[in-house]
Amino acid sequence: MKGLALPVAAAALLALGALVALEVLRPTPALRPAEQAQQIAALLRCPDCQALSVAESHTAAAGAIREQIGELLAQGRNADEIRQHFVDRYGEWILLAPSAAFAWWLPVVVVLAAVVGLLAWLLVGRRPRPAATEPSAAPPTTADRQRIRDEIERLDA
Amino acid sequence: MRLPPLRWVVLPILLVPLAWLLFTGLGRDPRQIPSPLVGKPLPVLAGATLTGESFSSTSLLGTPFIVNAWASWCIPACVDEHPVLMDAASRYAGRLAVLGVLFQDTPDDARRFLVRYGDGGWPHLLDSSGRLAVELGVTGPPETFFVDADGIVIAKQIGPLTVETMAEYLADLGLSE
Repeated sequence: MKGLALPVAAAALLALGALVALEVLRPTPALRPAEQAQQIAALLRCPDCQALSVAESHTAAAGAIREQIGELLAQGRNADEIRQHFVDRYGEWILLAPSAAFAWWLPVVVVLAAVVGLLAWLLVGRRPRPAATEPSAAPPTTADRQRIRDEIERLDA
Repeated sequence: MRLPPLRWVVLPILLVPLAWLLFTGLGRDPRQIPSPLVGKPLPVLAGATLTGESFSSTSLLGTPFIVNAWASWCIPACVDEHPVLMDAASRYAGRLAVLGVLFQDTPDDARRFLVRYGDGGWPHLLDSSGRLAVELGVTGPPETFFVDADGIVIAKQIGPLTVETMAEYLADLGLSE
């Protein structure tokens, strides 16, 4: 089984890399205004409900924000400007996806570190280890055996 | 010299950032939302009032003022806070203005609230579309903005004001006895 670990790990890494590349390189089609509005609303937090986006919520505040998104799009503002419009009023809190680049890179860094760690572990693990020089444990003495029997009897009692 | 086993390098790399994120993230109160409006000019709040007139916050410039987002259904917070607002408005009459902004409320319910708990006589903008609430970044009533004579937001209170917090905010506006 040990001989399979490296090819399997390599195949898994390749598949992961291919997925990431597909996701990054996939062309984004031009969106209609309604779709764009929906996309912006989906990443804004509904101010007067818990754990819902503006796109999903039916509250008055979410409705007012959706309406404003439509108006701002009609004025020719782009998605970033519209998000900033609401950040200026509610703060970063309103964003459901963080705007700090750091927040996006951290998981990538962690995954890369894990990959490096896994590879190193696999490679180091394949190096033959020096044979153990001492027996792992001495056989129990007669006194030990007697004590074990006594303890088991006490447990059963 | 022997290098330490790899796990003593990889584990900290993985765990230290995670621990730091949890430590800083969980230490924050999710209800404390710092307002980006503090230090900036108050957006112009204009529209129809509860008494049917049209009103704009620009008419308040020149004296410090309080903008209070409230609702008749906001019980008990808005009920508790109401006498504090009434007291400040009467105590600093002429030196402090108050503007109410209704948050997702009907005019009838708001009027009933004022009949029941007392009407301080200051205007209340209706905000039926919810647009003013968005301009102010209001997430839920009561929220109160303290604005200086130049129209700059000095502070924002989320949740009901008490006599003590009101006195502190008013001191920030230069109002104290």
